[in-house]
Amino acid sequence: MDSTKPRITKETKDRISVDYEGKLSFKERFLYKIKSSFTWIKILINILRFILMLGVSFVILYPFVSRVANSFMSYTDIIDSTVSLIPKNPTLDIYKYIIFDAHYLDALRNTVLLSLLCAIIQTFISCLVGYGLAKFKFKGNALVMIMVVITMAIPHTALKFSLSTHFNHFDLGTIMALDYPGIIELINGSSINLSNTFWPIIILSISGLAFKNGLYIYLMRQFFKGVPDELEESAYVDGSGTFRTFIQIILPLAVPMMITVFLFSFSWQWTDEFYTTLFFRGTVNKVYLMPDVYQVYEGWIVPAVGSSLYKTVVRNTAGMLIIAPLIIMYLFCQRYLVQGIERSGLVG
Amino acid sequence: MEKTLKIKRHRHASLDARKARAGYWFTLPFILGVVLIYLPLIIDSLWFSFAEPGFVTDNAGNSQLVFTKPESFFGFYANAFKNQSFVSNLLAGLQQLILEVPAIIIFALFIAVVLNQKMLGRALFRAIFFVPVIISTGLMDSINNLDAISDSASGGVDTGAAGGTDQIISVLDIEKLFQSMAIGSELVGYVVNLVNQVYQIINYSGVQMLIFLAGLQSISPSIYEACRIDGATAWETFWKVTFPMISPMILVNAVYTIIDAFTRSTNVTMSYITNNIYNNGARSEATAMYWIYFILVLLIIAVVAGIASTFIFYQRRD
Repeated sequence: MDSTKPRITKETKDRISVDYEGKLSFKERFLYKIKSSFTWIKILINILRFILMLGVSFVILYPFVSRVANSFMSYTDIIDSTVSLIPKNPTLDIYKYIIFDAHYLDALRNTVLLSLLCAIIQTFISCLVGYGLAKFKFKGNALVMIMVVITMAIPHTALKFSLSTHFNHFDLGTIMALDYPGIIELINGSSINLSNTFWPIIILSISGLAFKNGLYIYLMRQFFKGVPDELEESAYVDGSGTFRTFIQIILPLAVPMMITVFLFSFSWQWTDEFYTTLFFRGTVNKVYLMPDVYQVYEGWIVPAVGSSLYKTVVRNTAGMLIIAPLIIMYLFCQRYLVQGIERSGLVG
Repeated sequence: MEKTLKIKRHRHASLDARKARAGYWFTLPFILGVVLIYLPLIIDSLWFSFAEPGFVTDNAGNSQLVFTKPESFFGFYANAFKNQSFVSNLLAGLQQLILEVPAIIIFALFIAVVLNQKMLGRALFRAIFFVPVIISTGLMDSINNLDAISDSASGGVDTGAAGGTDQIISVLDIEKLFQSMAIGSELVGYVVNLVNQVYQIINYSGVQMLIFLAGLQSISPSIYEACRIDGATAWETFWKVTFPMISPMILVNAVYTIIDAFTRSTNVTMSYITNNIYNNGARSEATAMYWIYFILVLLIIAVVAGIASTFIFYQRRD
């Protein structure tokens, strides 16, 4: 009786080994498996899939490899078409030029400061607004959500002229077309010129209007919608206020999501060109930022055959230097990226 | 007795009111931003496309705002449409949008499905595939663009310039291949174009991949288990389970891709307006052109959303 009944020999989380009467030996089962076409198709699909993934990875990574290789080449190597990937006369000329002549270090310092400020402010503000939209029913909740979507949809490029005029004559709540004084003019007497400072980008960040902030607010709202209400209710019962509950109970839960948003806002501000060229235009007391690094100044390059090619290499090396800190940060944060998005309950 | 009851009711009412007030406090930065900064920006941007503002300093040293209006009210818009190269660039931009968006979405979905399966080195591939999310924006985009320009000027030495002139396949080869088949040359051109733009497509589909991957992760494994038990093939499972479940994400991604593609600085129309009109000082005309382009893209989004809503499947929730 007992021997005819299937018997579990080993059981783990996702696999069960069963012993029963008439079970083939391992060798026989192996032979059957080899003979079946299904196994072969499966192996073939696996190999093809792996090759495809390798191919796409190659497409993504190859430019980096070749740019890094090119960056060590001397001028003669670059115009010599027999040299590829491995430089014959390696030099550090290009790096010297970018670091000492193209103000890389100034740009790096300013950009680190600007991106960190922006990323911290934007992450916190999108948490705040997302939480308010997800958990509180107040009059105008739907309207605020619609405004979030609108800020996502209207590109700031279309507002370029308006943005530059408004921040060169910054005032709160004034419509220039109607020409009435805004809050700052009432207090201060005149509007303020904010060009060549960090303020325009920081003001946009504080009010949740900076680059793709609508997306962050939307992601945060979706995430907080998935957090059960009971958590806050029990905190309220224990006498915790709304803000304390938010800071002490809710924010720690949202850490993966916050890292995702932080990574996005930090790196998108880092490589941003639109706002930095729009708001930093002066030549006096110039604030160097990343877009200034890859400009190749004419005086530096000897006008000769292939100088446009050499310029390309210099530009690409500058590009590599610009994103190097980002890549390092990405290596540390990348596992949170997928995790954060997965937990956002985006589908809900 | 009556008094205490009254107090209780009052307290109960104020809890709701307090919660509503807290909602306002949380969203206050955004509400203030919209009212004090964003709405003026939008209204002025629209107004600037009808009348060009300028600042004139008067005798007392105060700068005065003066608007220069074109002869007719829609002057800048009329000028935009009279500009032949703007119209052709606009059409080229729209064409690029229409070609690129389906390719990006199909590619992102495909890769997300593969990355969601168990395979050798999955974590590494995931890490590599999301590198473009971080870096293929703004600056790097313009560097790539400049490379492509100087590449075509200097001829094909390998500079690692992404998607330069080195074509992977040429139209001629494919045409030879398809000559015997009854396939239109437009389709052949489209496919060739896609293959040659593979670098751009991969680079622009990072966020979409992330969103699809998140969607795929949230499909309950028990549905797949039920499919396997009922003997469905992988093909059937994809079209009857995965695709309907992921369809809301397709709409989200379509809208995101359209907005992303059209606001990108390397976009044909955008870069034309910025470089040739805005930077030449005709800023009101450029603003009018931006608005024309934006409204056209909005129409495209409406059409896409309309088409998508016919096949989107929303899982009923309670």
